[in-house]
Formats: sequence, C-alpha cells, structure tokens
Amino acid sequence: MTSDFRHQCITPPYLLERALRSDDREVRQAALNTMLTTAHLRGERAVRAAFPGVATPGNARRTIYDCRNTTSLPFAVLARSEDGPESTDASVNRAFDMLGKTRDFFQQVFARNSIDGHGMRLNGYVHYGHEFANAFWDGREMVFGDGDGRLFSDLTGSISVIAHELGHGVTEHTTGLEYHNQSGALNESMSDVFGAMVEQWTLGQTAEQADWLIGREVFTPQIEADALRSMKAPGHAWNTEKYGKDPQPDHMSKYVNMPDTYEGDWGAVHYNSGIPNKAFYLTAATIGGYSWEAAGLIWFEALKASNSETRFQEFADTTYRKAGELYEAGSAEQMAVLGAWQEVGISITGVSAGLARARNRTAGRNGDATAAVRALTAQVQELSRDVAALKGRVTAGG
Amino acid sequence: MRVTLSTHGGLAAPFLAGLPPDVVDTHALPESAAAELSRLVAAAVPATAATAGAPEPPRRAPDAMSYSITVEQGGHSSVLVQSDTDMSPEFAALLRWLKEHVARE
Repeated sequence: MTSDFRHQCITPPYLLERALRSDDREVRQAALNTMLTTAHLRGERAVRAAFPGVATPGNARRTIYDCRNTTSLPFAVLARSEDGPESTDASVNRAFDMLGKTRDFFQQVFARNSIDGHGMRLNGYVHYGHEFANAFWDGREMVFGDGDGRLFSDLTGSISVIAHELGHGVTEHTTGLEYHNQSGALNESMSDVFGAMVEQWTLGQTAEQADWLIGREVFTPQIEADALRSMKAPGHAWNTEKYGKDPQPDHMSKYVNMPDTYEGDWGAVHYNSGIPNKAFYLTAATIGGYSWEAAGLIWFEALKASNSETRFQEFADTTYRKAGELYEAGSAEQMAVLGAWQEVGISITGVSAGLARARNRTAGRNGDATAAVRALTAQVQELSRDVAALKGRVTAGG
Repeated sequence: MRVTLSTHGGLAAPFLAGLPPDVVDTHALPESAAAELSRLVAAAVPATAATAGAPEPPRRAPDAMSYSITVEQGGHSSVLVQSDTDMSPEFAALLRWLKEHVARE
C-alpha cells in the first residue's frame, strides 16, 4: 500500500502533462487511467472526481415545466429546456440552475451520470398546486410548490431541498430503500446527506464552516425557525411557541415509533432520519475537510452496498466496512465512522466498546503516521487537481 | 355540513404534525359559498371512491403529502384520503377551495 503511495507521489508532473497533451487520444486516456488505478488505495473516488471528463458522457438534460398552480403534471407547460433561453420566471431559473449544480456534483464528485447513472433526464415541475408548501420525488420527476407565503416560501429557493429531492431519485436507482420505518428514515437521511453536500460543495465549505441545515430558506421570515432540519443538532432546527419544537431524535434512545401509515409519516421517516443524519455530520466533522471527500464517499459506497430493507444497524456496519476498504482498517476515517455511530447509540457489529477504545488509543499513538498519511493524501489530491486543470487546457485547446 | 382537512407527511412532516386541522362549517358560510363547497364535496366523493378501488395501492412517493378530508353531515361521516401522486381533479378542486378559504380567514 505504501508503494502505491510512493508511486503516486513521485510521478513527475511533466510526464503526465506530456501524456495528457498527446495527440493520441488513447495515450491521453491511458495517462488518466494510470492516475485512477494507482489511486485505488486512498480516496479513489475523490481522485476520480477530479476528472469529470472520464465519466461516461450522457445527456442528463434538464427540462423545467410550469404546472401553472394546478396539480396536473401532464398539462404542465414547458418553461425552460437545456439549450433554451433563460426564463423570465425566477422559480423556473432557480430550479434549472440548482438541478444543474446537483447534476454537476454527482458527476464530478461521484462520477455518477445523473440520477440513474446513465444520463437520465432531469425533469423539474414548478408552481405545482395552490400554495403547495412541499416538494417531492414521484419516481420520475421532481415537483416543487410555491409555498403558502405565510409559513413556507417558494421551495425552489433552497438548493438543499432541490438536491434532497434529486437524491431520492439516486437512492431509488441504487438501493431502492423502502420508504417506511428504518429503511425509509435512511432514505430520508441519504437525501439530507446529498442536500447538505451539494450545498457545501457549491459554497466551497468545509464540514466545520457549514451550518448543516436542510431547507434554511424554506420558512418565511415570520416563522421563527432556522430550517426544516439540522444535521448537526437534530431536534433543534426550530422551537416556536406557536408551532412547537423540532421533534427529530439525535440518538437511538429517542427513536420515534409511529405507525407505518400516511398519518404516521410511514413510521416517522422524517423524524428518525435525525439519527443517521447526526452520524454523518459527526463523521464528516471528525475527519475534517470537505464532507464529500471522505465521509460522503464512505456513505455513498455504503448506500450502493445496501438493499431495499437495510436498517440502521446494517447501514452503520456497512459504512464501517467501507471506510476500512476505502482507507484502511483502523484508519482515522474508519475510527471517525465508529465513533460517530457510537455517539448516536449504534455500536458497530463485532467491534466491542473496549476494542473501539483501544483502537482509538492506538490511533492516538500513531498520530504522526496519521498526519503523514493525510499529507500524502493531500499531495495526491493536489496532483489530481493539477492534472484536471491540464486536461481542461488540452480540451479547450483541442 | 362540517368539512375537516388534515395534512400529513411531506418534506416538513414533523412541522405540519404540530398544526391543527382546518375545519369549515357550511352553517358559518354565506349561502353561495356553502353551495359551492357542497358541490365540490359531492363531486370529490365518487371520484375518490373510484381511486380507492384501484387494484394497486398508491405508491409511496418520497416526500409526497397525504390529505384526509372528513365530511360530517346528518350524523354520517366519511373520510376521503388522497396524496400528491394520486389525486383526482375533483379532490384537487375541493382541496384548493378549502386551502383558499382557510387562507382568507
């Protein structure tokens, strides 16, 4: 593993530069492929993300439709297409731009071509219904309401909400987590994870700089509520005299049991998502840096390795296993995952609390080694960014 | 006639759960408004029943809201339930009227 690193770090930049400028397309591709295969050890996806051109080109074309305040999607009118002119309607343009940013995020960070990985068209419907204070994913498209103007604002005003809805599509096309009870809460949580990452990615924020709020723009100024949810502090996104307090749990001991009916929010999926949300926040904050680089990678790989009935425990175990595979067993990243789930009341299967403590101590003793690994990773990432820049120049020039 | 609207689920499900249902009583309405509400209810009941009788239960669309409209009249009560993804035009018209009425109050 060390040799991989050495190989990666001593690759002379001028050789890569020359290879990437080659007239031979195969040579250029081979140079990129070399970078990708040698980067398998750590941050594989983070490195791949630096080469957006490597991903399968697809359409992922955006089309925004205006429902004209009806609840009929078939009768909605075309408002803006991928190559069409800007609309005079701000909601249309916001949905168009934010779906574009979300699409770019999945492409550049996870090398995923749209919702289904194959360039699926992104259809957004705005001005749905009368004063519709909601947004949803119906299995094919994303639908956004205008809000009622009293409690809720226009839902297209929030990139975390737009990415949340597109995220439901991604989850549906990866694991199809059933939308009830724990699998439903995980489905909800993954959408919040995507929502937070897309927002942080567009703002260039680190885990520490971000506020980790979902739907910060959703409530009108008249409502004393910060956001729909807080991933950093579930249960504290709003606390008002008139509308009560955010009921999201941040620990398994506070798990909310509600019936698996529409009245029971399909088993409290929008409540219990607070538990895995907090685990993701803690993982990202402990690892440090950008949430999408390590924590996001671990979570996305764990999502892809899950199935439609995955519950919290299994998902937590999978994130721990993926952290070990992507980084290494006992790495700072894997320890961050372990600690995060422990803090929300979920112990990783097969890892006793005593062992976890011992590993933490070991990790502490190996502080110098961890720092060295971090520095090497940073070098790899910097190099990959250089290559991406070079490739951009080559593309622009050729 | 008394018509009660409860909204469930959606992106802001926990927030909505704290809100009281909206209640409209035709006795408190001007005659024309009461007649309009009765007409909308009369249209929505058979349309909703037709949807409810469909062989497949409605798909659980992430973040879709569900609406339950309870109609009480002459000691009889019936409940109409539809969601964002399976709403009949008649139910949508009744829902819109109720929301507009509540907003005006």
